[in-house]
Amino acid sequence: MILKKYLGADGYKILKLGITRDHPIFAVGLGICSALAVSNTVANAIAMGAGVTFVLIATAVIISSLRSLIPQRARIITYMITIASFVIIVQMFLDAFSPTISEALGPYVALIITNCIIMGRAEAFYVTNGVRFSVIDAVSNGIAYTYTLVAIAVVREILGFGTLLGFQVTPDGWPKWVVMSMAPGAFFLLGVAIWISKTITEGGSEEEEE
Amino acid sequence: MKAIRSLLDRLYEAPALQRYKPIIGAADAILYGTDETTRGAPHVVDNIDIKRYMSFVILALLPAVLASVCFFGFRVIAIIMVSYMAGGAVEVAFAIIRKHDIHEGFLITGLIFPLVLPPTTPLWVVAVGVVFGTMFGKEMFGGTGRNIFNPALVGRLFITIAFPAIMTMNWQKPFVSGPEAITSATPLTTYKSTAKASKVNPDVVEFEKDEANKQVLFTSASAVKRCTQNGDSRFDGVKIYCVGEPAYNKAGKHKRIEDDNLVRLFSYGDLLVGKEPGSMGETCRIVIVLGGIFLMLARVSNWRIPVSYIGTVFVLALVGHRFLPHDIAPPVFQMLTGGLMFGAMFMATDPITSPFTKAGKYCFGISCGVLTVLIRSFTGYVEGVMFSIVIMNAFTPLIDQIVLMFKYRPVKT
Repeated sequence: MILKKYLGADGYKILKLGITRDHPIFAVGLGICSALAVSNTVANAIAMGAGVTFVLIATAVIISSLRSLIPQRARIITYMITIASFVIIVQMFLDAFSPTISEALGPYVALIITNCIIMGRAEAFYVTNGVRFSVIDAVSNGIAYTYTLVAIAVVREILGFGTLLGFQVTPDGWPKWVVMSMAPGAFFLLGVAIWISKTITEGGSEEEEE
Repeated sequence: MKAIRSLLDRLYEAPALQRYKPIIGAADAILYGTDETTRGAPHVVDNIDIKRYMSFVILALLPAVLASVCFFGFRVIAIIMVSYMAGGAVEVAFAIIRKHDIHEGFLITGLIFPLVLPPTTPLWVVAVGVVFGTMFGKEMFGGTGRNIFNPALVGRLFITIAFPAIMTMNWQKPFVSGPEAITSATPLTTYKSTAKASKVNPDVVEFEKDEANKQVLFTSASAVKRCTQNGDSRFDGVKIYCVGEPAYNKAGKHKRIEDDNLVRLFSYGDLLVGKEPGSMGETCRIVIVLGGIFLMLARVSNWRIPVSYIGTVFVLALVGHRFLPHDIAPPVFQMLTGGLMFGAMFMATDPITSPFTKAGKYCFGISCGVLTVLIRSFTGYVEGVMFSIVIMNAFTPLIDQIVLMFKYRPVKT
């Protein structure tokens, strides 16, 4: 448990909770809109996950280090400005280095600003905790968001387009599941994912019988 | 009999099989019925339970199954078996995980689902659809009796959206097998595509494809008479179609099909018997109606929903066809095409997903009828029965709520 040694018991707990019990999408239901919208291909999902993780970490650093200076009444606007600045950086970065993904993601990069995960974590965690724990929390939430998106995108891309990261993985004549490349497919998959995770974490009837 | 009884009892006791108790229970109930009684009042003096209830529906569906085997060959049986096996596996898995008895509702879902599929559906698509329908249509809501939507329709909708090419392009002509049997047109598709093609004359739906191969589709027999009697030379050497009627000659009299210029298009008799392409179980309307009437007489389904549903479609089509003959098909044609009969008799009447109040049933049927005509006439989809039933399923609790609210208004004091 090198991770545990590095992060300390508390840090490790924060990391673990963010990925499992306090998973932003499965447990709290945050960030669902973007999870549905950009999980159609794996490349989009990775780009989106990376963008959100970057913004989360950056926001965590800024908000938690400035937390004693932020006035209580103006805290939401402070979060907004911080998040918006970093989102613009992400957007410009994508525009400059991978225009195709930037085009595919469309408005959803800019909409990271309204992603409830970032705002929620800032309000719930960064504004009351130190930089160290905040960054751990940001990484944890970023990983949770990214792996959910990628997991859904893998299924959607294989079934809906017959490809994985743009390479064809299915035999010729594969009937494309049109529904999987549309929003309903994402809804069904996300629903199943939440169903499974709730059963595991909250102990459904499967666990009771063991 | 005693041997089976003792075998079952021993199976109940066997420690290794505790996990699979639901399966044993289902076998027991099918073989022996149930001796359970209601624990509290009211006590109903009738030993009809869900299993007997369901077996009436199966009985009513059997003629339609036999007809589809007759029309489309033994592939139908393969499709039904796949449906039962794949959906049954899901049902059993959930019964074991959730530790409840196997619910009999699946016996119907597994039979109705294949009957609303085109006969050429690949078997794996059947499996995908039935698994999806059982999981998302039923088990997710907690199993039989708790579902909001008709599970068979949920499965059908999913594969319709997921595989549009497979589900809408390949229909099979009855009594024919092999590649020449595949056609892309059901009666409804033909009407829709031809009717949209031209809007010249209210009597004539379509007029001429090209000079060499002229075709005319008339909306009714009287329209043929009106247009051709006064020696209109435009119709010389033209193939004349007429919706829902046997062949007509230019004077408006019945004529044999052999005549080159005169082609019949979907006579009502053929539609009633099921000689036109369509989903497996929905084509032979006459046995469907008989099955539906049997269910109503047995008091398993209620007559209000089918009557108000089909009646609404008829009335709307009657009125609509007068004013918008290009969009809205004639009333009898609408009644005898697509899944209307099957949907109204067997799917809209599902006691779980339709209202239980009398007024609610009328409301449900009428809304289904309006939606069906609207979807058939004004959208990109050709058939609207399954969409309208699923949409109205979602409104069922609301309808019941409103009816109860009006019926049992609190007394003002």
